[in-house]
Amino acid sequence: MPDLKYVGQSVTRVDSGGKVSGAAVYGYDLVLPEMLYGKVVFSDRAHARITDIDTRLAESHPGVIAVVTGRDVTYIHGETVQDTPFLAIDKVRFIGEPVAAVAAIDEDTAQAAAALIEVTYEDLPAYLSPIDACQPDSIAIHEDYDSYRKADFVSPGKTPNVLEHFKLHTGDVETGFAESDIVLEETYTVPSISHAAMEPHSAHAQVDSDTGRITIWSPNDAPFRAREELAMALDRPVGDIRFINPLQGGGFGAKGGLKLEPVALALAMHTHGRPVRVKYSREETFRSTLTRHEAVVTIKSGVMSDGTLHARRMEIYWGSGAYNEKSATVCIRGSQFAPGPYRIPNVSVNAYSVYTNKPVSGAFRGYGIPQGTWACEQHTDELATRLAMDPLEFRMKNVFTEGDVSYWGEELEAVGLKECLAKASAALEWAAPRSEGVGRGLACMIKPTKIGTESAAAVTIDSDGNVTVLAGTVEIGQGCNTIQSQIAAEELDVPIERVNYAPLDTDVTPFDSSTTSSRSTYHVGNAVRRAAAELREKLLEYAPVAIGNCDPADLRLHDGLVSLQDNPDRACTLAEIVTRAVGSDGVLRGEGECARNDGIELDLETGQSPRAAAYYMYGAHAVDVEVDKETGIVTLLRMAAAHDVGKAINPLTCAGQIEGGAVMGVGAALYETLVYDEQGNIKNPSFLDYHLVTSADAPDVAAIVVEEPLNHGPWGAKGVGEPPVALGPAAIGNAVANATQTRIRDLPLSPERVYWAINGTPSNGD
Amino acid sequence: MRRPVPFELHQPRAVATACELKHQLPQKSFFLAGGTDLVIAVKERGLSPDSLIDLKRIPDLAGVAEDTDGSLTIGALTTLAEIESSATIVARYPFLAQAAGEVGSLQIRNRATIGGNIANASPSADTIPSLMALNASLRISDGANQRSSTLEDFLLGPGQTALRDGEILTAVVIPPTDARLRGEFIKLSPRQVMDLAVVGVAVTLVTDERSRVEAAAIALGAVAPTPIRAGAAEGHLLGRVLDDDLAEAAGAIGADECSPIDDVRSSAEYRRVMVRVLIKRALLNAAARAPGPIPWRQRGRKRH
Repeated sequence: MPDLKYVGQSVTRVDSGGKVSGAAVYGYDLVLPEMLYGKVVFSDRAHARITDIDTRLAESHPGVIAVVTGRDVTYIHGETVQDTPFLAIDKVRFIGEPVAAVAAIDEDTAQAAAALIEVTYEDLPAYLSPIDACQPDSIAIHEDYDSYRKADFVSPGKTPNVLEHFKLHTGDVETGFAESDIVLEETYTVPSISHAAMEPHSAHAQVDSDTGRITIWSPNDAPFRAREELAMALDRPVGDIRFINPLQGGGFGAKGGLKLEPVALALAMHTHGRPVRVKYSREETFRSTLTRHEAVVTIKSGVMSDGTLHARRMEIYWGSGAYNEKSATVCIRGSQFAPGPYRIPNVSVNAYSVYTNKPVSGAFRGYGIPQGTWACEQHTDELATRLAMDPLEFRMKNVFTEGDVSYWGEELEAVGLKECLAKASAALEWAAPRSEGVGRGLACMIKPTKIGTESAAAVTIDSDGNVTVLAGTVEIGQGCNTIQSQIAAEELDVPIERVNYAPLDTDVTPFDSSTTSSRSTYHVGNAVRRAAAELREKLLEYAPVAIGNCDPADLRLHDGLVSLQDNPDRACTLAEIVTRAVGSDGVLRGEGECARNDGIELDLETGQSPRAAAYYMYGAHAVDVEVDKETGIVTLLRMAAAHDVGKAINPLTCAGQIEGGAVMGVGAALYETLVYDEQGNIKNPSFLDYHLVTSADAPDVAAIVVEEPLNHGPWGAKGVGEPPVALGPAAIGNAVANATQTRIRDLPLSPERVYWAINGTPSNGD
Repeated sequence: MRRPVPFELHQPRAVATACELKHQLPQKSFFLAGGTDLVIAVKERGLSPDSLIDLKRIPDLAGVAEDTDGSLTIGALTTLAEIESSATIVARYPFLAQAAGEVGSLQIRNRATIGGNIANASPSADTIPSLMALNASLRISDGANQRSSTLEDFLLGPGQTALRDGEILTAVVIPPTDARLRGEFIKLSPRQVMDLAVVGVAVTLVTDERSRVEAAAIALGAVAPTPIRAGAAEGHLLGRVLDDDLAEAAGAIGADECSPIDDVRSSAEYRRVMVRVLIKRALLNAAARAPGPIPWRQRGRKRH
């Protein structure tokens, strides 16, 4: 491979200036001409019939332009299962569900009018845990679930409220257990947590009073998919809808799908062409937008006395909340890989995604992998203890390696897992003695990137030599604009300062499936690279008009110039080529795409597929902790995080993703949990009571980039966005168990939980 | 979150004027100091004042002054950041400086005042246990007359104080202390910073050269409707040699003196156990410490 100029370099983030100075305008900040202000009335009941909504006082309130309820807007949306009304229709299913909305001339008026809306309810039994909700005598939260429009791969369960029952079977687990020397069964849980992106949610909507065309301004991580979901709900062509993506202040999955967009649109349908903004406060964002799935995971494993994993059976209950959102696919993908990155001949998984009367669960950085990884990796250490084997050695003996055929029937390529384990453990001197009270733990993982998605891109150059990248990946803070700019600069050999990244507008930006699943560097990167390559070919083809008669095959593009291979003095700039070829107002444009439509649907009964993902990412974390046994406080001493990214297009950005994810995982490990009261009301919807990690709590993280190249990724690249968040709880849990000789199977590892685990449960007051 | 309903703002220049205003103005008027609790109450808890009386323009209500008798007067408008970094407080009562430094964020501490921290009467107020363990008293004015109150008499319950309408808390007075006094404050919270106390424990100790306890005070935060003194535990220490066993015994007694509740942060039971552990640690930490300032490197670090 020739020397790379931009790819593989820690280029400064192209979007850093405005973000550092504060000049950047995020979706939440956006003000449009003639804009109206929306305010939402939320359900205060977890499960109830709406018997009446009295909006008369609000409608007659001075300054109110529109009041809408589910009677006025009867559309239903949903990406996989159409189950979500724009505003509640006839019943509510969680505290925080939008029931009515007001648009007014200013925020205060909207708020005052919203307070005048009276909703009368008749309560229904509410289910706050997935296991309660799926008992045979539970009542259905969605009475009409069977008749909802669903994607083909959705397999509803047989008991109430099971929106998806995922099955995976290979070998024969019962025989496997009988053959095993040691069999262990345990149950692990993960609570529901919040994405807590720095920017709360907002959406702006406008309906053109002339054409009826809809424009949505929304910091959405998948504007094309949101557009399609909206078009399906409205039963209108996608061309009737335009999504414009303002800057997004983080998302972690909470800003995918449709969130506030339907409410803003419902109002905008009644404002005679004036745009409407709806934005949520932090508390509303906590209560009404999205949470990560709570999960109850039971694992039974059989191992041979030499440490070979032989059989594993899993039963998983996912708490989906009141609407499907992405629950079916989180259940499928989260459960398919929950048995872990291990060679196991006999595997059986039954997983149930269950509606509850809690806020909606959905995509969250890692898409179901963190929950399975917590359970699997605690269990792995428990097995190692039974075997009296070192946890690192046990993993090294069983983890996937190149060419292995996995328990879902796929031959694996570019597997950098052993290197991740080796490097993360070496960074902590794994075998070195640890002092009293200090525990050391590690964990490893596999994360798929979904298959069946497409990215297109265009790269243009104008007559001044400015290059513009048009691609549909969304800068959500992860650095993708920088990565794509580096790729275009590398392929065209132009200075990266000359590369612009165009804002995202579905009317002009080429299609992209979504900025999810750690897919952008691979998919959009390939598309941008191909678009830039096509543009390079065009420049070479047109070069003779600027350079004079020559054979294009003799030309070379380098350093912003095209020159003759054996006569470098005969050269011209790229700007000259564009000017000569298409005039000073013209641009040359190259296009490229990356479509991974070679996936093979999982067999619905066995979960088998020889091509289940676009590619896989691997990682391992090791951590040293100190546990204060008298208080239960866990202090992180140091952490090493090694991730196989294929090829680091920007090593600093990769390290940033690894470190940021590792620290985010510390929150899930030690602090984060949404606490609900018996009515299903979140008791800690603020950053005072919902604890994120501060810099004072964050450990030093050694971010280790492992590069096991993927031959079809751009320069070998895979992805890195999601995996680092999954391993914090798993590694920290193992380190705490190592320090205390006590296994805790529930998250978070709060001081109180750790204290009672070490010192025995409380006496309940007597 | 909501925008405040418009209200009148008064900025008197004298305590007497402020007190008079409070009498004249309609029912829903409040004194405003740093505003770090009041503004949140207005924006997030539905408080709609008709008028606010801003005390920050009144001279001489801020600052730390050492009196000739050795007592220390802290003006009610002294910010927590000033207390955290006051050379006098850091030298004489470093545990009080530390307690002030463990409140919220630096931005909050730059606004929040010691008077506000006390008058807001939160059960978990970080500065109160240390002040209680120093037998601090409060100076209160109604504009014409001054009176004095102990913290115990002043604090009636969560958000409730013995301030009468029109009275202003003007200063906190720490009486002269023995040169041998040492103290310790331990705030237990899951997160290192930006968190409320699950339990706060402050102790002060005077021991003789054979470690016999001559005077001891133990104050507990977040485990009762107000911060409290653990009188029985204190009594158990007097005249005895402070060692691990005695500290442990005092902790056990103190744990019986509090009345914690269950909330989103912790169970009552865990709080009670932590009172036992933290009293023990605070006593042993204080005893092991030389009188005088704590090096700044140690102040940020938890030592329990």
